[in-house]
Amino acid sequence: MPAPDPLGFLSDALAGAEEAARALLGQERVRLAVTGLSRAGKTVFLTSLVANLLAAGAGLSTLPALEAAAAGRLRRVRLLPAGVEAVPRFDPEAHLAALAADPPRWPARTEDLSTLALTLELDRRSWLGSVFGARRVTLELLDYPGEWLLDLPMLRQSYAEWSAATLARLRRGARAAAFGPFLAFVDALPAAAPAEDALSRRGFALYREGLRAARDTHGLRLLQPGRFLNPGPRGEAPLMWFFPLPHPEGGGLAELCARRYAAYLADQRSVFLEPFFRRFGRQAVLVDVLAALHQGEEAFDDTAAALAEITAALRYGGSLLDRLTGQGVRRVAFVATKADHVPERQRAALTALLEDLVQAPRERALAAGAETGVHALAAIRCTEDDTAIVDGRPVEAVRGVLLESGRVARVYPGEVPPRRPGPEFWRHGRRFAMPDFQPPRLDPHGAAGVPHLGLDTLLAWLIGDLL
Amino acid sequence: MSAPGTPPPREPRVILEEGEAPPPRSAAPAPRDRETPPAPRLDFGWERAVAQGSAARPRPAGGWSSLGLLGAGAAVLVLGLSALEAANFVAAQFARATWLGVLTLGVAGAGYGLIGAALWREARGLAALRSVDRARAAFARGDHATARAEALRWAAEVPAAQSVLPALRAANDPDSLRAILEAGPLAALEAQAQALGRAAALQAFAVTAISPSAGFDALVFASRGVRLVRQVAALHGLRPGLAGTLALLRRTLLDAATVAATDVAVDTAARALLTNPLLEKIAGEAAAGAVAARRMLRLARAASEACRIVPRR
Repeated sequence: MPAPDPLGFLSDALAGAEEAARALLGQERVRLAVTGLSRAGKTVFLTSLVANLLAAGAGLSTLPALEAAAAGRLRRVRLLPAGVEAVPRFDPEAHLAALAADPPRWPARTEDLSTLALTLELDRRSWLGSVFGARRVTLELLDYPGEWLLDLPMLRQSYAEWSAATLARLRRGARAAAFGPFLAFVDALPAAAPAEDALSRRGFALYREGLRAARDTHGLRLLQPGRFLNPGPRGEAPLMWFFPLPHPEGGGLAELCARRYAAYLADQRSVFLEPFFRRFGRQAVLVDVLAALHQGEEAFDDTAAALAEITAALRYGGSLLDRLTGQGVRRVAFVATKADHVPERQRAALTALLEDLVQAPRERALAAGAETGVHALAAIRCTEDDTAIVDGRPVEAVRGVLLESGRVARVYPGEVPPRRPGPEFWRHGRRFAMPDFQPPRLDPHGAAGVPHLGLDTLLAWLIGDLL
Repeated sequence: MSAPGTPPPREPRVILEEGEAPPPRSAAPAPRDRETPPAPRLDFGWERAVAQGSAARPRPAGGWSSLGLLGAGAAVLVLGLSALEAANFVAAQFARATWLGVLTLGVAGAGYGLIGAALWREARGLAALRSVDRARAAFARGDHATARAEALRWAAEVPAAQSVLPALRAANDPDSLRAILEAGPLAALEAQAQALGRAAALQAFAVTAISPSAGFDALVFASRGVRLVRQVAALHGLRPGLAGTLALLRRTLLDAATVAATDVAVDTAARALLTNPLLEKIAGEAAAGAVAARRMLRLARAASEACRIVPRR
């Protein structure tokens, strides 16, 4: 159990007092943590959320369920003007322009942190309250490289614990092949290997190659540390030249790796985790369930394990101190993204499969007092339901324009099981990569929002009680 | 969709539409390939759907909170019962003597008239604030008809804006309305608000520098601040009563609170630097005065912002 942090408690108490004062003035502020592994669709989700909220604030019916939750009192939504933030600003206009361009471009892999805040202006519920003017709810959003999220569980582990757990994992299944050269290298190292930079850089390079192969070739997700895969704008630094060792408690190279491990975590904690993930009120955990299913049994289980690790490391506000200071997450939504990749009939199965996948993290969040929900959405809808003939039989499929060729295609995504499938499913199934679709015709300025599936229902559940 | 009793195919599949012309959905983009022109992107008719949805969206009726019902009930009881009591009393006075009844009726009528006038003034003040909100919302959503109507009504009541009335009538879109208002009357009103702020800042500085206690400073700042907010509101054609002033103060409170937090830090740092007791006394009071003056200037800006009928971009 970590030692109590008096400064952290004080800061939480001040934040709690500020939140209470803001609520009293009708100026609530809520930080929405959009959490997800890499390529889960966080950037597109945020772009769609911003465009549709701004359009809803201008009076368009882009988010009907959210408007119903607000009882029609949403009057205006605007982007909070930039202040003196040191963190880059999330640029929904640029993402929308790229999506609307010809040829369209989906957002590239997120390389850095960026933030944005929206203010929702609402009429007061009562006539008397309206004397005091509109309520304002500020929604703070953060975009970040999904890979970095997997550094969260490392904060609870020492270098020796992390080394042992990681090496045990690397020797199993598809990882053993991806990390073959790295495992051969570390197994050949003597226990008292000297603290030579040549050794540490060689080990780091082999380990990183293994991580890349595991991600790109095998579709695995539980890959640590995050900055090895996505170093961000600061690039590679000497504190990253470490890797798991079979003898992590010796001197020489083991000691050097342990020091760099500690320095790496301290750096990630101060730059990314502490400022952005210490305190938030609502959380959306985005999961590309269909891609995990299509990439095989090991990738599917690995995604589940990665989600369990991340959610176990997040702060759900169940402790006594959290209750005293009013901190912690109130609502957690687990969201299956890219729901437009399956026809409507299968979306319920997609939600049920995600529910099964995140059972352990859900129970943890529930035990800490957070409400949890499971949703399926397409932040930008790219397909329409159709019928295709497969093996001489008509099946429900989705129809869209392929990104690469610009040709129309019907895609039959296979049957989505409502719970984790058994061995029979994997035996017959082969790996399948869902093609990228072009986004639909969009206004480059996003004045009318963007077509979506289920974004309004998710937002109504996540923040509807604040409106 | 597959035949009943037979399991659906397990393997996912991509089936390209060979030689099939896609249905016309939108204007085709420029072809990238001479042999196989790209298909047009899907069009869900989103813009039309969201526009229709918004037209059908009803505006919610204002409800009554428990506190509102409590207050209204108390007001009805106090005013209603006192009116009944007064009526009984007037009737009794008429029974005693006609001249006494007339006199009592005059006194009661004057009293209730003054109360009515106060309520009427409050209602007008609040209605003016609501009108500002309507105008801002109309500008924000690009609703030209409402924005124009509100801008014309506002300009007719604000002396500084009457010269632009013809231009406002001729404006064809919200951007033109905004440009006319921002370049003309709003710029002038903001300059006047700053002048009022400077006058208030000077007074706050002088009073704080010579005041005997911090509590007195706060009192002076609060009362001068409220007066400043009301002066700025009057510039913008608002004549807020008590409730209107409260609403205006609330709107400016957050900005003012942010500034105050910064100022406390600056003030503390300034005081910490001065260790000489005499210097500390003289410069410390002057520093406090400067902080109060700066807050007053900021308050003028915040109040002017709260009263603008055009939202900032």
